[in-house]
Amino acid sequence: MKPMLSTDLNAADTTVEKAKIEVKNLNFYYGQSKALKDINLSLPERSVTAFIGPSGCGKSTLLRVLNRIYELYPKQSAEGQVLLDGKNILDRSQDLNLLRTKIGMVFQKPTPFPMSIYENIAFGVRLYEKISKAEMDSRVEQALKRAALWNEVKDKLNASGLSLSGGQQQRLCIARTVAVKPEVILLDEPASALDPLSTAKIEELIDELQADYTIVIVTHNMQQAARVSRQTAFMYLGELVEFDRTEKIFTSPREKRTQDYITGRFG
Amino acid sequence: MTAVSDAATSSALRTREATVRRFAFTDMAFRTATRLSAILVLVLLGGVAISLVTGSWEALSKFGFSFLTTESWNPVTENFGALAPIYGTIVTSAIAILIAVPIGIGIAVFLTELCPRPLRRPIGIAVELLAGIPSIIYGIWGLFVFAPFLQTTIQPFVIWLFKGIPGLNSLFAGPPYGIGLLTSSMILAIMVLPFITSITKDVFDTVPAVLKESAYGIGCTTWEVTRRVTIPYTRVGIMGGVMLGLGRALGETMAVTFVIGNAHRISASLFAPGTTISATIANEFTEADGDLYTSSLVSLGLILFIITFIILALARYMLLRIDSRTGA
Repeated sequence: MKPMLSTDLNAADTTVEKAKIEVKNLNFYYGQSKALKDINLSLPERSVTAFIGPSGCGKSTLLRVLNRIYELYPKQSAEGQVLLDGKNILDRSQDLNLLRTKIGMVFQKPTPFPMSIYENIAFGVRLYEKISKAEMDSRVEQALKRAALWNEVKDKLNASGLSLSGGQQQRLCIARTVAVKPEVILLDEPASALDPLSTAKIEELIDELQADYTIVIVTHNMQQAARVSRQTAFMYLGELVEFDRTEKIFTSPREKRTQDYITGRFG
Repeated sequence: MTAVSDAATSSALRTREATVRRFAFTDMAFRTATRLSAILVLVLLGGVAISLVTGSWEALSKFGFSFLTTESWNPVTENFGALAPIYGTIVTSAIAILIAVPIGIGIAVFLTELCPRPLRRPIGIAVELLAGIPSIIYGIWGLFVFAPFLQTTIQPFVIWLFKGIPGLNSLFAGPPYGIGLLTSSMILAIMVLPFITSITKDVFDTVPAVLKESAYGIGCTTWEVTRRVTIPYTRVGIMGGVMLGLGRALGETMAVTFVIGNAHRISASLFAPGTTISATIANEFTEADGDLYTSSLVSLGLILFIITFIILALARYMLLRIDSRTGA
């Protein structure tokens, strides 16, 4: 069975593109236990990279290192380097709030803030920019249009973000992330709690967003990885087993473990 | 062969029916017992309400509505009005809440968001132990330690500070007695603090971690996450905690009786002695000789009962709303 591929077969090889994020010798610990083992990986700019692998393989952990959200919890620590445009973000001197405005994140479950649809988006923008009401209005509109949500909510911007359906809430969260104008967007299984129609919308959206943003997506769904990503990283037990162009991973993987996983022999 | 198995089945059926009947009986007995216990509470509550109403009947029928609006409380001429105790009760409780809410929320934020893990439990337990100190101890501490301290240091300073400022100078006027409305409010604030803190802490813990993560994820600071996400998300629960604290403050007797000064008058100054409903009742029940005097005190009790009932009902209602929301 040949997996569906939407990626451009002529896409340039990952090694020659400009790297947005470079992960070097990264180790990660939950307390004593080691969750990531010596990860090396380079994410090219303005393209979608997927992390796949069975539960507990460390793909979400790796994602959570990229914006250092793991630091909210004590006893979690990372060693090694993560270079964003050549600058190590694991450095102590890195300002976390600034980092997180550059690297946005969308979670598995939609997380609208307890405020109106408009405010959900304006909130993040207002944190770092002082702009007029008119500018804010257009900013909110743009963000909602980017997330393909504008037509559904334009008449009820003052309604609570919690009143939307699950798929709409997730697109609201993407709009909120986009509105802050990040450089990188991290998606942690963004469609796993959604129905197939909403999932299709989110995937379409990811495809459009890669023109402007570097996108990293963690997914359990291999078809999804095949559909949306240009590069795929297969992880297993905290190790990066294989990282290559998506069509390569899904058609002629180098490693036997990768082959076994994508053909459904384990995982 | 069939006959034998039929007999076996029917005897098994009979024992099963007997068991079911026995179960039905114990079940009914159990249901009745629990229902009676529940009804007992209603009967007690109703009994208290009825005896308060009948006890206060004499005073209420004599003074009518003016009982609520009269300041004077004169056992000699038997002219009683509840305005001063009502005023004292509401003002001391309101100020106590004003002091305790920001501190309580502050402690809760610190404990849930900022506190180093090893310190979390000791501080949390210390705060809850405050709730376990008997109110008489707050009373003696207030009278012998806290009031003299206020009298010699803070009160003279505040009076001097606001001397020339209109409004504030009458709010903080007069000789520094030490005891008075503000002192009671401060003691009450300490007493309701654990209620507000522990409920606020509990509702803060109901905020989904991923909601906070996503707020941090767009670059919020801890302050912004707390102010714009955690508190709005838990607003109703916090209100419930505040209301419970308020209910406690309204009814608190012993500590207040020690430090409020027990004067039946309404003064603009917060340093002046005053009285509250419960302090009045506690102080004067033994010396109430006339029927009208006793009945007036019972009327005060009825008023406090109604105020507290309303406040607690509001608190319940608000907590109910947050429960159904987080449960969904």
